[in-house]
Amino acid sequence: MSSLFNDYQPESFFDEVFSKTGKARSHYGAMLDSVGSLNPSEYSARQKAVDATFLRQGVTFTVYGDDQGTERIFPFDLMPRIIPQREWERVEAGLIQRITALNLFLDDIYHGQKIITDKAVPAELVLSASHYRPEFRGIKVPHGIYIHICGTDLVRDGKGDYYVLEDNGRCPSGASYMLENRNAMKRAFPGLLQQLPVRPVDAYGSMLRETLAHLAPGSVLDPVIVVLTPGIYNSAYFEHCYLAKQMGVPIVEGRDLIIRNDRVFMRTTKGLEQVHVIYRRIDDDFLDPQVFRKDSLLGVPGIINAYRKGHVALANSIGTGVADDKAVYALVPQMIKYYLDQDPILPNVPTHLGVDPKECSYILDNLDKLVVKAVNESGGYGMLMGPHASKKERADFAELIKKNPRNYIAQPVLQLSRHPVFVDDHFEGRHIDLRPYVLCGDRVRVVPGGLTRVALKKGSLVVNSSQGGGSKDTWVLWDDPLDMPAETSPAA
Amino acid sequence: MNYRITHRTTYEYSSRVVVSHHAARLRPRDTETQRCLEFSLSFEPEPDLLTEHTDSFGNQVSCFSVQKLHKHFEVISRSFVSLMPVLQPDPLQTPPWESVAAMFRDPVPVDLLDPCQFVFGSPLLLHEMPLRDFALPSFTKGRPVLAAAADLCRRIHREFVFDPKATTISTPLNEVLEKKRGVCQDFAHLAIASLRAMGLPARYVSGYLRTHPPAGKPRLQGADASHAWASCFVPGFGWVDFDPTNNCFTSLDHITVAIGRDFSDVSPVRGIITGGGKHTVSVGVDVEPVGA
Repeated sequence: MSSLFNDYQPESFFDEVFSKTGKARSHYGAMLDSVGSLNPSEYSARQKAVDATFLRQGVTFTVYGDDQGTERIFPFDLMPRIIPQREWERVEAGLIQRITALNLFLDDIYHGQKIITDKAVPAELVLSASHYRPEFRGIKVPHGIYIHICGTDLVRDGKGDYYVLEDNGRCPSGASYMLENRNAMKRAFPGLLQQLPVRPVDAYGSMLRETLAHLAPGSVLDPVIVVLTPGIYNSAYFEHCYLAKQMGVPIVEGRDLIIRNDRVFMRTTKGLEQVHVIYRRIDDDFLDPQVFRKDSLLGVPGIINAYRKGHVALANSIGTGVADDKAVYALVPQMIKYYLDQDPILPNVPTHLGVDPKECSYILDNLDKLVVKAVNESGGYGMLMGPHASKKERADFAELIKKNPRNYIAQPVLQLSRHPVFVDDHFEGRHIDLRPYVLCGDRVRVVPGGLTRVALKKGSLVVNSSQGGGSKDTWVLWDDPLDMPAETSPAA
Repeated sequence: MNYRITHRTTYEYSSRVVVSHHAARLRPRDTETQRCLEFSLSFEPEPDLLTEHTDSFGNQVSCFSVQKLHKHFEVISRSFVSLMPVLQPDPLQTPPWESVAAMFRDPVPVDLLDPCQFVFGSPLLLHEMPLRDFALPSFTKGRPVLAAAADLCRRIHREFVFDPKATTISTPLNEVLEKKRGVCQDFAHLAIASLRAMGLPARYVSGYLRTHPPAGKPRLQGADASHAWASCFVPGFGWVDFDPTNNCFTSLDHITVAIGRDFSDVSPVRGIITGGGKHTVSVGVDVEPVGA
């Protein structure tokens, strides 16, 4: 075993690499042998080389509301997280089941609302979701798919069981980091990736393109696809550009698009060109000033009418936020039962709803033991880590909860699994999660792996990049290299 | 009671507009006591594109785009509407407001799903609004829901001054609450947000008032323009409209055009233009009683 790991302590947590007895898990064997051949300074040199590449290539994200400046490098830890085939197959099946149910739910909620009239889920909870858009009921969306790109956050508890922490069905970000992380690994450990049967992720660009092309209005054979970004000040602008480049499609801002005859056109140097599919990374509220916020200059006036008429497709669709409301999240197991008549393969984290008066008083009485989250926030904003918070922070949060209980949920603090992370000249355990990307087009596909996020601060359980998190490459390791599934459909 | 209604919206721009998109909700709705017998739209200049759909609240929406250079745009709607008297339940015989609010907490009965979508925050009326304090005096313990709404209506009428100069279309409600001034839109929003703060469903109604009062009656506030009022849900009966600007339940003087959660769902004409520089909008509404 490498000297790098001599002093490594899994402690009382579930460690991804080492079992309780300190023995390495078998799927990490080959990787550890390879890293083990390095001494700390060699390892450190590779880490630094990768850091320098990230800086040079501008692999960044933006932190809002920080005087320290906005654009940051996304910290990357070189040691990959490895998921063995049997574990991945279960995760994949669970994610496919979940997104299928979520899309059926959205189609239902925006049409007949059968799940409510059949009393499988409570009406008040769903209809009060602030991202529910009743004005969108009855609109037909292409193939009835609402969420085309989903980033579902998974965690493992102290026993190593996988749980779904939240669904991100609006504009999930991070796929670009997943791709860049793999590129970095190829440079840092070229031989290792060649030698191990690791499922590739670099087909993501073509998978995304196929998913989007599937949405194009029926008669269009070679659809024009664009990525619509709010612009350079958005936290994920790097990603917008990166994915456009991966797909080989233009990136546009609202002002680059105009509507004529209920169709969307892009201004180009050769005149107007019709656009058929828009991968929009702009929130619903800002998409069309004629329908939503009138003060928005980011969107395209008239685009919703073009969508309504079926002349253009939007991914993701409008109003998907009702499904990733953190209180509606608690209903996903009921959705899976109702639409698919199955039990969830991946369980939810037990969730207490502020809207229920009994559970609300439980939350208020146990603030020091719970994680409290605002139902529509993401990126680690609007949450309280009860056990780590000060008395005053808890009291302030209690006031917020009392004022608007529907806006909060609480969950027990999970002891997230840990993974060795290189700190200075040795490895220490840090908590991690996993965000796999799920694509819904002609079929549902899950990118093997995803983005493993790391809480870099010692002891921290918050992995969000905006809260000091970093990331790792994620390897889905196949047992038999000849048996690896093809990632893309054969070229049309 | 029959009315012939003309609603004219005119835009003048200081420089030329390249393209304009408008969405209009101008066709009076058919309700239990109202029939729209004729409806037409005319434009100057003619739009290059005109499409219609019904929105999810049941309002008819006309979308039109002018795609040639213009410095002036006018849309006129003409309608002929027939009204029957509205039957009002006796406010004192309606159920206590607490029991109505309780019906809209889970598990919500399936037949109340439609009103249930009007209980929560909406684009212009978010939940955080501190309106419970304002509403509370009207919602005494056990008071019948419609009596409470009528009291709310009376209080808004008494405590607030109708003042077209005090607010604009985008003045937030807490400013209206502070200044104690506003127009029909503000008063309708105030009533709706108050009802919702108490956990009750409330809708926004846009429409018209008859322009010329019958002989010997005072002229109502808000004639000559689009008007707006609020609607409160009474279980077992349905929606009951009341007009806080004029402190009354609606009847033969109020013509319903569109219904939504707040003004943003029902704006009579909403537009986006490219170019145009400064612009002025003028609106004229004429509501003529026809026959007897």
